[in-house]
Amino acid sequence: MTGWHVDDETLRHYVERTDSMAEGASVEQHLLTCAQCRARVNTAATAVDSTMVDLAAVWDRTRDAVEVPRPSVFERLLRAAGIPAHEARLVAAASAFRGVWLVGVAAVLAFAAVAAMIGHARGLWLFLAVAPVAPCLVVAFSYDRRWDPALEPEMVTPYPALRLILLRTIAVLAVALPAVLLLGLFVPGEAPFAWLLPAVGFVAVVLAASTWVSPLNAAMAVSTVWLLTVWRLAARSASPTAVLQPRTQVAFLVLAAASFATFLVRRRHLHQLRPWR
Amino acid sequence: MEGPRSDETLLVGVAERDIGAFRVLYERHAGWLALRLARRCNDRDLVADAVQDTFVAVWQKPRGFRGDGDIAAWLWGIAIRRLVSRLRRRTDVAAMFESTATTPAAEDQVLLSVEHGDLGAALARLSPEMRAVIQAVVLDGLSAKEAAQLLHVPVSSVKTRLYRAKAQLRATLAEGLS
Repeated sequence: MTGWHVDDETLRHYVERTDSMAEGASVEQHLLTCAQCRARVNTAATAVDSTMVDLAAVWDRTRDAVEVPRPSVFERLLRAAGIPAHEARLVAAASAFRGVWLVGVAAVLAFAAVAAMIGHARGLWLFLAVAPVAPCLVVAFSYDRRWDPALEPEMVTPYPALRLILLRTIAVLAVALPAVLLLGLFVPGEAPFAWLLPAVGFVAVVLAASTWVSPLNAAMAVSTVWLLTVWRLAARSASPTAVLQPRTQVAFLVLAAASFATFLVRRRHLHQLRPWR
Repeated sequence: MEGPRSDETLLVGVAERDIGAFRVLYERHAGWLALRLARRCNDRDLVADAVQDTFVAVWQKPRGFRGDGDIAAWLWGIAIRRLVSRLRRRTDVAAMFESTATTPAAEDQVLLSVEHGDLGAALARLSPEMRAVIQAVVLDGLSAKEAAQLLHVPVSSVKTRLYRAKAQLRATLAEGLS
Protein backbone atom coordinates (compact mmCIF):
# COMPACT_ATOMS: atom_id res chain seq x y z
CA MET A 1 0.00 0.00 0.00
CA THR A 2 1.08 3.50 -0.70
CA GLY A 3 0.03 4.92 2.64
CA TRP A 4 -2.07 7.46 0.79
CA HIS A 5 -5.72 7.69 1.76
CA VAL A 6 -8.72 9.63 0.62
CA ASP A 7 -8.95 12.77 2.78
CA ASP A 8 -12.12 13.34 4.82
CA GLU A 9 -13.32 16.22 2.68
CA THR A 10 -13.09 14.28 -0.58
CA LEU A 11 -14.67 11.27 1.07
CA ARG A 12 -17.61 13.38 2.20
CA HIS A 13 -18.03 14.78 -1.32
CA TYR A 14 -17.94 11.27 -2.70
CA VAL A 15 -20.56 9.91 -0.32
CA GLU A 16 -22.80 12.94 -0.76
CA ARG A 17 -22.23 12.83 -4.49
CA THR A 18 -21.14 16.43 -4.71
CA ASP A 19 -17.84 15.58 -6.35
CA SER A 20 -16.71 15.91 -9.93
CA MET A 21 -16.23 13.02 -12.28
CA ALA A 22 -12.45 13.10 -11.97
CA GLU A 23 -12.64 13.19 -8.18
CA GLY A 24 -15.14 10.33 -8.08
CA ALA A 25 -13.08 8.23 -10.46
CA SER A 26 -9.96 8.72 -8.38
CA VAL A 27 -11.78 7.78 -5.17
CA GLU A 28 -13.27 4.71 -6.79
CA GLN A 29 -9.94 3.51 -8.12
CA HIS A 30 -8.43 3.88 -4.66
CA LEU A 31 -11.34 2.06 -2.98
CA LEU A 32 -10.68 -1.05 -5.02
CA THR A 33 -7.31 -1.51 -3.34
CA CYS A 34 -7.81 0.05 0.10
CA ALA A 35 -9.79 -1.82 2.73
CA GLN A 36 -9.34 1.03 5.17
CA CYS A 37 -10.98 3.62 2.94
CA ARG A 38 -13.73 1.15 2.00
CA ALA A 39 -14.56 0.81 5.67
CA ARG A 40 -14.61 4.61 5.99
CA VAL A 41 -16.98 4.87 3.03
CA ASN A 42 -19.26 2.22 4.56
CA THR A 43 -19.43 4.14 7.83
CA ALA A 44 -19.90 7.50 6.16
CA ALA A 45 -22.60 6.11 3.89
CA THR A 46 -24.70 4.75 6.73
CA ALA A 47 -24.23 7.95 8.74
CA VAL A 48 -24.96 10.50 6.03
CA ASP A 49 -26.76 9.20 3.07
CA SER A 50 -30.51 9.01 2.92
CA THR A 51 -30.44 7.73 -0.66
CA MET A 52 -28.59 4.65 0.49
CA VAL A 53 -30.24 1.27 0.09
CA ASP A 54 -31.38 -0.65 3.18
CA LEU A 55 -28.42 -2.98 3.53
CA ALA A 56 -29.91 -4.96 6.42
CA ALA A 57 -32.97 -5.79 4.32
CA VAL A 58 -30.79 -6.72 1.36
CA TRP A 59 -28.78 -9.01 3.63
CA ASP A 60 -31.96 -10.76 4.79
CA ARG A 61 -33.04 -11.32 1.21
CA THR A 62 -29.58 -12.49 0.19
CA ARG A 63 -29.43 -14.97 3.07
CA ASP A 64 -32.91 -16.27 2.22
CA ALA A 65 -31.87 -16.65 -1.40
CA VAL A 66 -28.75 -18.64 -0.64
CA GLU A 67 -30.40 -20.83 1.98
CA VAL A 68 -33.03 -22.05 -0.46
CA PRO A 69 -31.57 -25.16 -2.09
CA ARG A 70 -30.22 -24.33 -5.46
CA PRO A 71 -32.39 -25.57 -8.33
CA SER A 72 -31.01 -28.68 -9.96
CA VAL A 73 -29.17 -28.45 -13.25
CA PHE A 74 -32.21 -29.95 -14.91
CA GLU A 75 -34.56 -27.40 -13.39
CA ARG A 76 -32.31 -24.57 -14.50
CA LEU A 77 -32.21 -26.02 -18.01
CA LEU A 78 -36.01 -26.05 -18.07
CA ARG A 79 -36.10 -22.45 -16.93
CA ALA A 80 -33.58 -21.48 -19.55
CA ALA A 81 -35.87 -23.14 -22.09
CA GLY A 82 -38.52 -20.63 -21.09
CA ILE A 83 -40.62 -22.72 -18.71
CA PRO A 84 -41.82 -20.66 -15.72
CA ALA A 85 -40.06 -21.33 -12.41
CA HIS A 86 -42.96 -23.06 -10.65
CA GLU A 87 -43.61 -25.37 -13.59
CA ALA A 88 -39.91 -26.16 -13.87
CA ARG A 89 -39.95 -27.19 -10.21
CA LEU A 90 -42.97 -29.46 -10.68
CA VAL A 91 -41.53 -31.07 -13.77
CA ALA A 92 -38.13 -31.55 -12.20
CA ALA A 93 -39.75 -33.08 -9.12
CA ALA A 94 -40.71 -36.13 -11.18
CA SER A 95 -39.20 -39.11 -9.47
CA ALA A 96 -37.39 -40.15 -12.63
CA PHE A 97 -34.84 -37.49 -11.79
CA ARG A 98 -34.06 -38.81 -8.38
CA GLY A 99 -32.19 -41.29 -10.43
CA VAL A 100 -32.38 -44.30 -8.14
CA TRP A 101 -34.42 -46.48 -10.35
CA LEU A 102 -33.51 -44.71 -13.58
CA VAL A 103 -30.17 -46.30 -12.82
CA GLY A 104 -31.99 -49.63 -12.59
CA VAL A 105 -33.58 -49.16 -16.00
CA ALA A 106 -30.23 -48.11 -17.43
CA ALA A 107 -28.61 -51.20 -15.93
CA VAL A 108 -31.14 -53.54 -17.55
CA LEU A 109 -30.70 -51.77 -20.87
CA ALA A 110 -26.94 -51.83 -20.57
CA PHE A 111 -27.12 -55.54 -19.89
CA ALA A 112 -29.28 -56.07 -22.99
CA ALA A 113 -27.03 -53.85 -25.09
CA VAL A 114 -23.91 -55.72 -23.98
CA ALA A 115 -25.60 -59.03 -24.73
CA ALA A 116 -26.49 -57.80 -28.21
CA MET A 117 -22.98 -56.51 -28.74
CA ILE A 118 -21.44 -59.86 -27.95
CA GLY A 119 -23.32 -60.96 -31.03
CA HIS A 120 -25.91 -63.32 -29.69
CA ALA A 121 -29.15 -63.16 -31.61
CA ARG A 122 -30.76 -63.60 -28.22
CA GLY A 123 -29.04 -60.46 -27.00
CA LEU A 124 -30.54 -58.50 -29.85
CA TRP A 125 -33.95 -59.92 -29.01
CA LEU A 126 -33.45 -58.97 -25.42
CA PHE A 127 -32.61 -55.40 -26.36
CA LEU A 128 -35.62 -55.18 -28.64
CA ALA A 129 -37.79 -56.55 -25.87
CA VAL A 130 -36.63 -54.11 -23.21
CA ALA A 131 -35.79 -50.84 -24.97
CA PRO A 132 -39.25 -50.00 -26.37
CA VAL A 133 -41.05 -50.45 -23.05
CA ALA A 134 -38.44 -48.72 -20.88
CA PRO A 135 -39.62 -45.14 -21.61
CA CYS A 136 -43.30 -45.88 -20.92
CA LEU A 137 -42.36 -47.60 -17.65
CA VAL A 138 -40.32 -44.53 -16.71
CA VAL A 139 -43.30 -42.29 -17.44
CA ALA A 140 -45.71 -44.54 -15.53
CA PHE A 141 -43.46 -44.71 -12.48
CA SER A 142 -43.12 -40.95 -12.47
CA TYR A 143 -46.89 -40.78 -11.85
CA ASP A 144 -47.09 -43.39 -9.17
CA ARG A 145 -47.77 -42.00 -5.76
CA ARG A 146 -45.94 -44.74 -3.93
CA TRP A 147 -42.77 -43.79 -5.72
CA ASP A 148 -43.15 -40.05 -5.80
CA PRO A 149 -43.95 -38.17 -2.60
CA ALA A 150 -43.81 -34.93 -4.60
CA LEU A 151 -47.07 -35.90 -6.27
CA GLU A 152 -49.07 -35.26 -3.13
CA PRO A 153 -48.61 -31.49 -2.77
CA GLU A 154 -48.31 -31.13 -6.49
CA MET A 155 -51.64 -32.71 -7.25
CA VAL A 156 -53.58 -30.63 -4.77
CA THR A 157 -52.36 -27.41 -6.34
CA PRO A 158 -54.99 -26.19 -8.76
CA TYR A 159 -53.24 -26.54 -12.02
CA PRO A 160 -54.13 -27.44 -15.58
CA ALA A 161 -53.54 -31.19 -15.31
CA LEU A 162 -53.15 -31.76 -19.01
CA ARG A 163 -50.35 -29.27 -19.36
CA LEU A 164 -48.55 -30.61 -16.33
CA ILE A 165 -48.85 -34.22 -17.45
CA LEU A 166 -47.58 -33.45 -20.93
CA LEU A 167 -44.72 -31.35 -19.57
CA ARG A 168 -43.71 -34.11 -17.21
CA THR A 169 -43.97 -36.76 -19.87
CA ILE A 170 -41.83 -34.75 -22.24
CA ALA A 171 -39.34 -34.08 -19.46
CA VAL A 172 -39.16 -37.75 -18.49
CA LEU A 173 -38.72 -38.75 -22.10
CA ALA A 174 -36.04 -36.10 -22.53
CA VAL A 175 -34.06 -37.93 -19.86
CA ALA A 176 -34.98 -41.52 -20.72
CA LEU A 177 -34.73 -41.42 -24.51
CA PRO A 178 -31.15 -40.13 -24.85
CA ALA A 179 -29.99 -42.69 -22.29
CA VAL A 180 -31.58 -45.53 -24.23
CA LEU A 181 -30.45 -44.06 -27.54
CA LEU A 182 -26.87 -43.88 -26.34
CA LEU A 183 -26.91 -47.51 -25.28
CA GLY A 184 -28.61 -48.42 -28.55
CA LEU A 185 -25.60 -47.14 -30.43
CA PHE A 186 -23.63 -50.09 -29.12
CA VAL A 187 -26.12 -52.54 -30.52
CA PRO A 188 -25.03 -53.82 -33.94
CA GLY A 189 -27.20 -53.39 -37.02
CA GLU A 190 -30.11 -51.05 -37.48
CA ALA A 191 -31.64 -52.05 -34.17
CA PRO A 192 -30.62 -48.89 -32.27
CA PHE A 193 -33.40 -46.85 -33.80
CA ALA A 194 -35.94 -49.58 -34.40
CA TRP A 195 -37.43 -49.22 -30.96
CA LEU A 196 -37.95 -45.43 -31.17
CA LEU A 197 -41.40 -45.50 -32.75
CA PRO A 198 -42.60 -48.44 -30.62
CA ALA A 199 -41.37 -46.56 -27.54
CA VAL A 200 -43.28 -43.40 -28.47
CA GLY A 201 -46.34 -45.50 -29.30
CA PHE A 202 -46.26 -47.24 -25.93
CA VAL A 203 -45.94 -43.97 -24.03
CA ALA A 204 -49.00 -42.69 -25.87
CA VAL A 205 -50.87 -45.91 -25.08
CA VAL A 206 -50.02 -45.56 -21.40
CA LEU A 207 -51.23 -41.95 -21.36
CA ALA A 208 -54.47 -42.95 -23.10
CA ALA A 209 -55.01 -46.00 -20.92
CA SER A 210 -54.46 -43.97 -17.77
CA THR A 211 -57.79 -42.26 -18.42
CA TRP A 212 -59.24 -45.66 -17.37
CA VAL A 213 -56.68 -47.39 -15.17
CA SER A 214 -53.62 -46.31 -13.20
CA PRO A 215 -50.60 -45.47 -15.36
CA LEU A 216 -48.52 -48.14 -13.70
CA ASN A 217 -51.07 -50.88 -14.48
CA ALA A 218 -51.30 -49.60 -18.04
CA ALA A 219 -47.53 -49.69 -18.43
CA MET A 220 -47.38 -53.19 -16.95
CA ALA A 221 -50.02 -54.41 -19.36
CA VAL A 222 -48.30 -52.82 -22.34
CA SER A 223 -44.94 -54.30 -21.29
CA THR A 224 -46.43 -57.75 -20.84
CA VAL A 225 -48.11 -57.70 -24.26
CA TRP A 226 -44.91 -56.50 -25.89
CA LEU A 227 -42.75 -59.09 -24.13
CA LEU A 228 -45.15 -61.86 -25.15
CA THR A 229 -45.11 -60.65 -28.75
CA VAL A 230 -41.32 -60.53 -28.87
CA TRP A 231 -41.14 -63.93 -27.19
CA ARG A 232 -43.52 -65.48 -29.73
CA LEU A 233 -41.64 -63.93 -32.65
CA ALA A 234 -38.39 -65.28 -31.24
CA ALA A 235 -39.95 -68.70 -30.67
CA ARG A 236 -41.06 -68.78 -34.30
CA SER A 237 -37.38 -68.07 -34.99
CA ALA A 238 -38.30 -65.05 -37.06
CA SER A 239 -35.49 -62.54 -37.53
CA PRO A 240 -35.40 -59.61 -35.11
CA THR A 241 -35.53 -57.39 -38.18
CA ALA A 242 -39.23 -58.22 -38.49
CA VAL A 243 -39.85 -55.33 -36.11
CA LEU A 244 -37.79 -53.04 -38.29
CA GLN A 245 -39.91 -53.40 -41.39
CA PRO A 246 -41.39 -50.12 -42.61
CA ARG A 247 -44.86 -51.66 -42.36
CA THR A 248 -44.44 -52.41 -38.66
CA GLN A 249 -43.01 -48.97 -38.06
CA VAL A 250 -46.02 -47.35 -39.73
CA ALA A 251 -48.27 -49.46 -37.54
CA PHE A 252 -46.53 -48.12 -34.45
CA LEU A 253 -46.87 -44.57 -35.77
CA VAL A 254 -50.61 -45.11 -36.21
CA LEU A 255 -50.79 -46.59 -32.72
CA ALA A 256 -49.04 -43.54 -31.28
CA ALA A 257 -51.31 -41.10 -33.12
CA ALA A 258 -54.51 -42.97 -32.22
CA SER A 259 -53.54 -43.27 -28.56
CA PHE A 260 -52.62 -39.65 -28.31
CA ALA A 261 -55.91 -38.65 -29.89
CA THR A 262 -57.75 -40.86 -27.37
CA PHE A 263 -55.79 -39.26 -24.56
CA LEU A 264 -56.76 -35.76 -25.70
CA VAL A 265 -60.41 -36.69 -26.19
CA ARG A 266 -60.62 -38.33 -22.77
CA ARG A 267 -58.55 -35.77 -20.92
CA ARG A 268 -61.45 -35.01 -18.56
CA HIS A 269 -60.97 -38.51 -17.15
CA LEU A 270 -57.43 -37.89 -16.06
CA HIS A 271 -58.26 -38.69 -12.43
CA GLN A 272 -55.91 -41.67 -12.54
CA LEU A 273 -53.08 -39.24 -13.01
CA ARG A 274 -54.50 -37.00 -10.26
CA PRO A 275 -54.58 -39.25 -7.24
CA TRP A 276 -56.74 -37.01 -5.04
CA ARG A 277 -59.86 -38.07 -7.01
CA MET B 1 -7.40 -14.98 17.50
CA GLU B 2 -5.10 -13.16 15.17
CA GLY B 3 -7.11 -10.07 14.22
CA PRO B 4 -9.74 -9.72 11.52
CA ARG B 5 -9.80 -12.34 8.79
CA SER B 6 -8.68 -11.35 5.32
CA ASP B 7 -11.11 -11.28 2.41
CA GLU B 8 -9.35 -14.28 0.94
CA THR B 9 -9.87 -16.28 4.14
CA LEU B 10 -13.52 -15.25 4.19
CA LEU B 11 -13.95 -16.38 0.62
CA VAL B 12 -12.52 -19.77 1.52
CA GLY B 13 -15.07 -19.87 4.33
CA VAL B 14 -17.85 -19.02 1.86
CA ALA B 15 -16.70 -21.86 -0.38
CA GLU B 16 -17.07 -24.13 2.66
CA ARG B 17 -20.63 -22.84 3.10
CA ASP B 18 -19.82 -20.78 6.20
CA ILE B 19 -22.70 -18.31 6.42
CA GLY B 20 -20.85 -16.39 9.15
CA ALA B 21 -17.91 -15.69 6.85
CA PHE B 22 -20.39 -14.75 4.14
CA ARG B 23 -22.02 -12.25 6.47
CA VAL B 24 -18.69 -10.62 7.36
CA LEU B 25 -17.84 -10.37 3.67
CA TYR B 26 -21.23 -8.78 3.03
CA GLU B 27 -20.81 -6.25 5.80
CA ARG B 28 -17.36 -5.36 4.58
CA HIS B 29 -18.32 -4.82 0.95
CA ALA B 30 -22.06 -4.27 0.51
CA GLY B 31 -21.87 -0.63 1.64
CA TRP B 32 -19.36 0.78 -0.77
CA LEU B 33 -20.66 -1.43 -3.60
CA ALA B 34 -24.19 -0.13 -3.10
CA LEU B 35 -22.95 3.43 -2.94
CA ARG B 36 -20.90 3.08 -6.09
CA LEU B 37 -23.79 1.40 -7.91
CA ALA B 38 -26.15 4.12 -6.72
CA ARG B 39 -23.95 6.68 -8.48
CA ARG B 40 -24.75 4.86 -11.71
CA CYS B 41 -28.42 4.19 -11.25
CA ASN B 42 -30.87 6.32 -9.35
CA ASP B 43 -33.39 3.54 -8.74
CA ARG B 44 -32.75 2.40 -5.20
CA ASP B 45 -34.62 -0.90 -5.52
CA LEU B 46 -32.66 -1.80 -8.60
CA VAL B 47 -29.39 -1.11 -6.81
CA ALA B 48 -30.56 -3.24 -3.88
CA ASP B 49 -31.41 -6.06 -6.30
CA ALA B 50 -28.01 -5.78 -7.96
CA VAL B 51 -26.25 -5.96 -4.57
CA GLN B 52 -28.30 -9.03 -3.65
CA ASP B 53 -27.56 -10.65 -7.03
CA THR B 54 -23.87 -9.95 -6.52
CA PHE B 55 -23.66 -11.70 -3.18
CA VAL B 56 -25.85 -14.59 -4.27
CA ALA B 57 -23.43 -15.03 -7.18
CA VAL B 58 -20.50 -14.94 -4.76
CA TRP B 59 -22.15 -17.59 -2.60
CA GLN B 60 -22.79 -19.80 -5.60
CA LYS B 61 -19.37 -19.39 -7.20
CA PRO B 62 -16.84 -18.31 -4.60
CA ARG B 63 -14.12 -19.99 -6.64
CA GLY B 64 -14.80 -17.57 -9.47
CA PHE B 65 -12.14 -15.43 -7.83
CA ARG B 66 -8.91 -16.55 -9.39
CA GLY B 67 -6.65 -14.95 -6.88
CA ASP B 68 -5.40 -12.20 -9.17
CA GLY B 69 -5.75 -8.71 -7.78
CA ASP B 70 -8.03 -7.49 -5.05
CA ILE B 71 -11.27 -9.21 -4.05
CA ALA B 72 -12.90 -5.79 -4.01
CA ALA B 73 -12.18 -5.36 -7.72
CA TRP B 74 -13.58 -8.80 -8.43
CA LEU B 75 -16.74 -7.95 -6.48
CA TRP B 76 -17.14 -4.69 -8.34
CA GLY B 77 -16.82 -6.51 -11.66
CA ILE B 78 -19.70 -8.78 -10.64
CA ALA B 79 -21.78 -5.95 -9.20
CA ILE B 80 -21.67 -3.64 -12.21
CA ARG B 81 -22.55 -6.51 -14.53
CA ARG B 82 -25.46 -7.53 -12.29
CA LEU B 83 -26.67 -3.96 -12.47
CA VAL B 84 -26.35 -4.03 -16.25
CA SER B 85 -28.35 -7.23 -16.43
CA ARG B 86 -31.04 -5.85 -14.09
CA LEU B 87 -31.22 -2.65 -16.13
CA ARG B 88 -31.49 -4.57 -19.36
CA ARG B 89 -34.81 -5.99 -18.18
CA ARG B 90 -36.07 -2.56 -17.22
CA THR B 91 -36.52 -0.07 -19.98
CA ASP B 92 -38.12 2.52 -17.73
CA VAL B 93 -35.01 3.12 -15.65
CA ALA B 94 -31.96 4.52 -17.32
CA ALA B 95 -28.52 4.52 -15.88
CA MET B 96 -27.33 7.82 -14.64
CA PHE B 97 -23.79 8.98 -14.62
CA GLU B 98 -23.32 12.02 -12.52
CA SER B 99 -25.90 13.82 -14.62
CA THR B 100 -27.56 15.20 -11.51
CA ALA B 101 -24.32 15.88 -9.69
CA THR B 102 -24.23 19.46 -8.62
CA THR B 103 -21.55 21.67 -10.02
CA PRO B 104 -18.81 22.05 -7.44
CA ALA B 105 -18.67 25.40 -5.71
CA ALA B 106 -16.23 27.94 -7.06
CA GLU B 107 -13.54 27.32 -4.46
CA ASP B 108 -13.88 23.57 -4.94
CA GLN B 109 -13.45 24.14 -8.65
CA VAL B 110 -10.18 25.89 -7.97
CA LEU B 111 -9.06 23.10 -5.65
CA LEU B 112 -10.04 20.57 -8.24
CA SER B 113 -8.05 22.12 -11.01
CA VAL B 114 -5.09 22.17 -8.65
CA GLU B 115 -5.67 18.57 -7.74
CA HIS B 116 -6.50 17.10 -11.08
CA GLY B 117 -4.98 19.64 -13.38
CA ASP B 118 -6.47 20.04 -16.79
CA LEU B 119 -7.97 16.57 -16.88
CA GLY B 120 -10.67 17.40 -14.33
CA ALA B 121 -11.65 20.48 -16.28
CA ALA B 122 -11.50 18.63 -19.57
CA LEU B 123 -13.81 15.93 -18.23
CA ALA B 124 -16.17 18.55 -16.89
CA ARG B 125 -16.49 20.03 -20.36
CA LEU B 126 -17.74 16.78 -21.86
CA SER B 127 -21.45 16.47 -22.53
CA PRO B 128 -23.30 14.24 -20.02
CA GLU B 129 -23.76 11.56 -22.70
CA MET B 130 -20.05 11.44 -23.46
CA ARG B 131 -19.14 11.46 -19.77
CA ALA B 132 -21.46 8.50 -19.20
CA VAL B 133 -19.75 6.52 -21.93
CA ILE B 134 -16.26 7.40 -20.67
CA GLN B 135 -17.30 6.39 -17.17
CA ALA B 136 -18.80 3.06 -18.24
CA VAL B 137 -16.09 2.01 -20.66
CA VAL B 138 -12.89 3.61 -19.40
CA LEU B 139 -13.45 3.79 -15.65
CA ASP B 140 -15.79 0.85 -15.00
CA GLY B 141 -14.15 -1.41 -17.53
CA LEU B 142 -17.33 -2.48 -19.28
CA SER B 143 -17.37 -3.68 -22.86
CA ALA B 144 -19.08 -1.51 -25.47
CA LYS B 145 -21.98 -3.96 -25.48
CA GLU B 146 -22.38 -3.89 -21.70
CA ALA B 147 -22.15 -0.10 -21.67
CA ALA B 148 -24.84 0.02 -24.33
CA GLN B 149 -27.12 -2.12 -22.17
CA LEU B 150 -26.39 -0.04 -19.11
CA LEU B 151 -27.11 3.25 -20.85
CA HIS B 152 -29.95 1.99 -23.04
CA VAL B 153 -28.33 3.21 -26.25
CA PRO B 154 -27.20 1.27 -29.32
CA VAL B 155 -23.68 -0.18 -29.29
CA SER B 156 -22.80 2.01 -32.27
CA SER B 157 -23.65 5.13 -30.25
CA VAL B 158 -21.38 3.98 -27.46
CA LYS B 159 -18.55 3.59 -29.91
CA THR B 160 -19.05 6.96 -31.64
CA ARG B 161 -19.51 8.77 -28.34
CA LEU B 162 -16.39 7.17 -26.92
CA TYR B 163 -14.43 8.14 -30.01
CA ARG B 164 -15.69 11.72 -29.93
CA ALA B 165 -15.17 12.02 -26.19
CA LYS B 166 -11.56 10.91 -26.51
CA ALA B 167 -11.01 13.32 -29.38
CA GLN B 168 -12.51 16.15 -27.40
CA LEU B 169 -10.46 15.34 -24.31
CA ARG B 170 -7.31 15.23 -26.41
CA ALA B 171 -8.13 18.57 -27.99
CA THR B 172 -8.93 20.21 -24.65
CA LEU B 173 -5.75 18.94 -23.07
CA ALA B 174 -3.66 20.02 -26.07
CA GLU B 175 -5.25 23.47 -25.83
CA GLY B 176 -4.24 23.66 -22.19
CA LEU B 177 -0.64 22.86 -23.04
CA SER B 178 -0.22 25.47 -25.66
